[in-house]
Amino acid sequence: MDMTGEFRISAPRDVVWQALNSPDALRACIPGCEALEKTSDNGFSATVMQKIGPVKARFNGEVQLENINAPESYTIRGEGKGGVAGFAKGGADVRLAEDGGDTVLTYTVNAQIGGKLAALGSRLIESTSKKLAAKFFENFQTYITEGGAGRMS
Amino acid sequence: MSTGIGARVKRKEDKRFTTGQGRYTDDVRVDNQAYAVFVRSPHAHAKITGIDKSEAEAMDGVIAVLDGHQLTGDGIGNLICGWAVSSKDGSPMNMGAWSALATDTARYVGDAVAVVIADSRQEARDAAEAVVVDYEELPVVVTSDKALESGAPQIHDNAAGNLCFDWEIGDEAAADKGLAEAAHVTQMRIVNNRLSPNPMEPRSAVAIYDSAEEHYTLYTTSQNPHVARLVLSAFYNVAPEHKLRVIAPDVGGGFGAKIYIYPEEITCLWASMKTGRSVKWTADRSEAFMTDAHGRDHITNARMGFDQNGKITGFKVDTLANLGAYMSLFSSATPTYLYATLLSGQYDIANIYGNVKGVYTNTVPVDAYRGAGRPEASFLVERMMETAAREMGMDPAELRRRNFIGSFPHQTPVIMTYDAGDFAGNLDMAQKAADVAGFPARRAEAAQRGKLRGLGYSCYIEACGIAPSAAVGSLGAGVGLWESAEVRVNPVGTIEILTGSHSHGQGHETTFSQIVAERFGLPIENVSIVHGDTDKVQFGMGTYGSRSGAVGMSAIVKAMDKVEAKVRKIAAHVLEASEDDIVIENGAVKVAGTDKQMLWHEVGLAAYTAHNLPAGMEPGLKETAFYDPVNFTFPAGCYIAEVEVDPETGVTKVVQFTAADDFGTIINPMIVEGQVHGGAAQGIGQAMLEGVVYDQDGQLLTGSYMDYCMPRADDVPFYTIEHNKTVCPGNPLGIKGCGEAGAIGTPPAIINAITDAIGNNDLQMPATPLKVWTALQAAAKPMAAE
Amino acid sequence: MTKVSMKVNGKAVSRDVPDNTLLVDFLREQLRLTGTHVGCDTTQCGACVVHVNGKSIKSCTQLAVSLAGAEVTTIEGIANGADLHPMQVAFNDHHGLQCGFCTPGMIMTGIDMVNRYQAQGRELTEEAIRFELEGNICRCTGYHNIVKAIDAAAQQMSGMAKAAE
Ligand code: FES
Ligand code: FES
Repeated sequence: MDMTGEFRISAPRDVVWQALNSPDALRACIPGCEALEKTSDNGFSATVMQKIGPVKARFNGEVQLENINAPESYTIRGEGKGGVAGFAKGGADVRLAEDGGDTVLTYTVNAQIGGKLAALGSRLIESTSKKLAAKFFENFQTYITEGGAGRMS
Repeated sequence: MSTGIGARVKRKEDKRFTTGQGRYTDDVRVDNQAYAVFVRSPHAHAKITGIDKSEAEAMDGVIAVLDGHQLTGDGIGNLICGWAVSSKDGSPMNMGAWSALATDTARYVGDAVAVVIADSRQEARDAAEAVVVDYEELPVVVTSDKALESGAPQIHDNAAGNLCFDWEIGDEAAADKGLAEAAHVTQMRIVNNRLSPNPMEPRSAVAIYDSAEEHYTLYTTSQNPHVARLVLSAFYNVAPEHKLRVIAPDVGGGFGAKIYIYPEEITCLWASMKTGRSVKWTADRSEAFMTDAHGRDHITNARMGFDQNGKITGFKVDTLANLGAYMSLFSSATPTYLYATLLSGQYDIANIYGNVKGVYTNTVPVDAYRGAGRPEASFLVERMMETAAREMGMDPAELRRRNFIGSFPHQTPVIMTYDAGDFAGNLDMAQKAADVAGFPARRAEAAQRGKLRGLGYSCYIEACGIAPSAAVGSLGAGVGLWESAEVRVNPVGTIEILTGSHSHGQGHETTFSQIVAERFGLPIENVSIVHGDTDKVQFGMGTYGSRSGAVGMSAIVKAMDKVEAKVRKIAAHVLEASEDDIVIENGAVKVAGTDKQMLWHEVGLAAYTAHNLPAGMEPGLKETAFYDPVNFTFPAGCYIAEVEVDPETGVTKVVQFTAADDFGTIINPMIVEGQVHGGAAQGIGQAMLEGVVYDQDGQLLTGSYMDYCMPRADDVPFYTIEHNKTVCPGNPLGIKGCGEAGAIGTPPAIINAITDAIGNNDLQMPATPLKVWTALQAAAKPMAAE
Repeated sequence: MTKVSMKVNGKAVSRDVPDNTLLVDFLREQLRLTGTHVGCDTTQCGACVVHVNGKSIKSCTQLAVSLAGAEVTTIEGIANGADLHPMQVAFNDHHGLQCGFCTPGMIMTGIDMVNRYQAQGRELTEEAIRFELEGNICRCTGYHNIVKAIDAAAQQMSGMAKAAE
């Protein structure tokens, strides 16, 4: 499944970039995220609870940041094991552009699911992903406006 | 009312099902019962690099977490294919190793990797979530044509290029010559879509180990419990045969999917020994989609040649058969001996050649599904005939008539000897019942409503009554395909029939009783049928391939012959008459022309009291027979479908469906019609609704009833059914078999009707509204399509 | 764990069950009423249909705890002693079953549809029966005889309803 999108965040690019690299921000904004810890310079471990169609699963996995070109772009790549439900993996190329005081974030996502998740949920992956992306950015905007970003600096 | 042969006797077994008292495997509950949940590969092809069971093992209620290394370490053998097929160069097929729990490599999504045994189903499920398996993904291939391409991912080390076998039948040079001489050649590429059998009862197993006796009991959803026992003991080393009892209680449909012995039964038996607990496993539907053997999945290129008069001059067929990731129990026979031996159809074709390549892919194993090979053959032949007729501007029925085999026995160039049939008669019967003469008017009337109406024929033939043991042995079968029966006359005259056949919807308790009741003139209530338990019933081969009538009942007849012979001797002795004068009728054993008689139960009693038996005669009245058929049987018929297509949407309705079947002798027309109804619905399902889809990564996209479209009540019509009855000369009752005909004969009739309606022969199954609409657009704009 | 009390086939029952227990598991595992079957995991096959307070529902999609105090009728509870319900008789008369696995759900659905149509004074045509069977899958019968059986039972039941008036 491939998906692209664009999102405007009312905050300067530096602030957005920092948040995108902060475990606290990611933990607060990734829908269903139960835990997220930094494990290396550019790596995190995460536990995320997700529901795709009729299947609900807790994914344990690793998240890596690659192709880092601060504060403009990176690739975020992750793979999660959902136990009996199967797996989910994917990556997103994220790009930040300044636009006045705002930041325009564009992304290209590629995601794959497997096992029972695919058998039961394939037809829903696209709509679910869209929903998750929207939710993530909504959380992200709130996080930044409500001073999460301020706490970081 | 008569209850004998030919009577519409209501089913004896219905009461327990209509009152909720059926006893299926998942209804069984035993002491000390634990539950198994399998950990399955979510990847279609991956190396298993590690399994961490520690967290799962520590969880509440968990008894054990077992993996493939433990299983093979205990000497449990690999799953096998029971039919050895050789390639055309004489080399044996390349059977890839299949362990019940994968050890190093997972080869399809759903391949079992570990099993959790816990006190409750919920605990087992939770713990299975906690088993961490590390995989290293490997490249994946899911279709047979791609799997044969050079550079395709290798699935088994011992099958280079993923080729399991490259098999042939017939005479290639003769077929080429026939095609070269043809005035017209019809050429088609036909995909026979992959299906999931979907018996409504999911597979289930309860394994019980008795450590004191070192004895195992397995309740399982099987069509052939004895075969399961044999294979489990002889090949999988789960238990010695005499220490293993297999019970297939009420089974909720099979359709082929419950012939095979799957990894789960093996694992449950082994785990019950390992843990000392009874182990129960029941598939949920998504597990069934992922692990029940699928059916069909052929890609075929074929050419059929005709002379000026429409006589077939040659037929050449090239088929790729997707076997899935491993060879299931009969997976080699299904696309070869059960398929290409029927390429002659109902037609007198001198020159036929077929080549079949069996190919591994990263998908669930493919094996027999209702019809097994024969639907693929019928679909191919009947699509070719209809298309050829259209291309040559001939009436499709007339083209068939010109080529029908008219005299029997008839030897085809592809092994089979057809013993009896009336192909033109079937066609006449169907045309009359379907009012083909009135079709043009119906078509015109539909056009006024804005609908496109089409009519399609299918003159199918199948080989059933499987099968003469020596013949199948010479073709590579690992077993004989006879059947057994024991007729036990009790001292009070009631009768138990112990049969090796297994009923999972076929109504044997009724039909088998009918032939016994008729033979001895007894009330049908006095006969009971015992089946499905290896402790009760002598070895038998089970039910598949429409064999229970032609083979199973023949064994009963043979055993009844022996009983009758003994009854005559006893009666002649007691009544002081000649054996030749004894007649059995209406429950009495009489001396013809006198009023001397014994009642049936008096003979039974005499046999068991043994006070006055002929000198040297053993007491008792119980006989066993094994019946080995002399030939296949050849049910055949003509199906005519009429459909209406909405040209705006492609939505297609089957508006009329007529079947004229020749099943030979019919024991119970009500039950036979029911078999045709069910088969026809499955055929409509294949033609219009059903299709298993894997994505290119080997993920199963049709894993539930949301995405795999099963026929519902409003997808199918009422069916009109006629019977032509040419008696089968090969068995004592003259039965040919009826279980698979509907699934075999229906798909070509439907597709022939839709293509007739839309005027485009190029349409693959399942003919969904989108495909029909697209084909219709292509037909409407032939120029634009180029 | 929650204590669930309800009336099943006219008898008061009460069991302590985990909150996530489905009605079908409550019936099958707790009460050992195994006539109600499970044929799918996406609420589409109808093998699990029972009546709750006189209406058909899919018991695989209801939590037992949500039905405290309800009156539940299963396939085991529709006969009147030895007298089978007309729907049960019709399925036998018309060969509306083969393997029997879908049958309990079909019969429970059939009774519900006849009752509803009769209550609303609507005619239960062949087309209506097929439409109403959307949520019940049978792999064996091709539906022909199921439709005939429900139709026949409907006649019978309306006769009985009239006689009772
Ligand atoms: S089990 Fe309830 S609808 Fe299938
Ligand atoms: S009778 Fe077998 S599923 Fe309906």
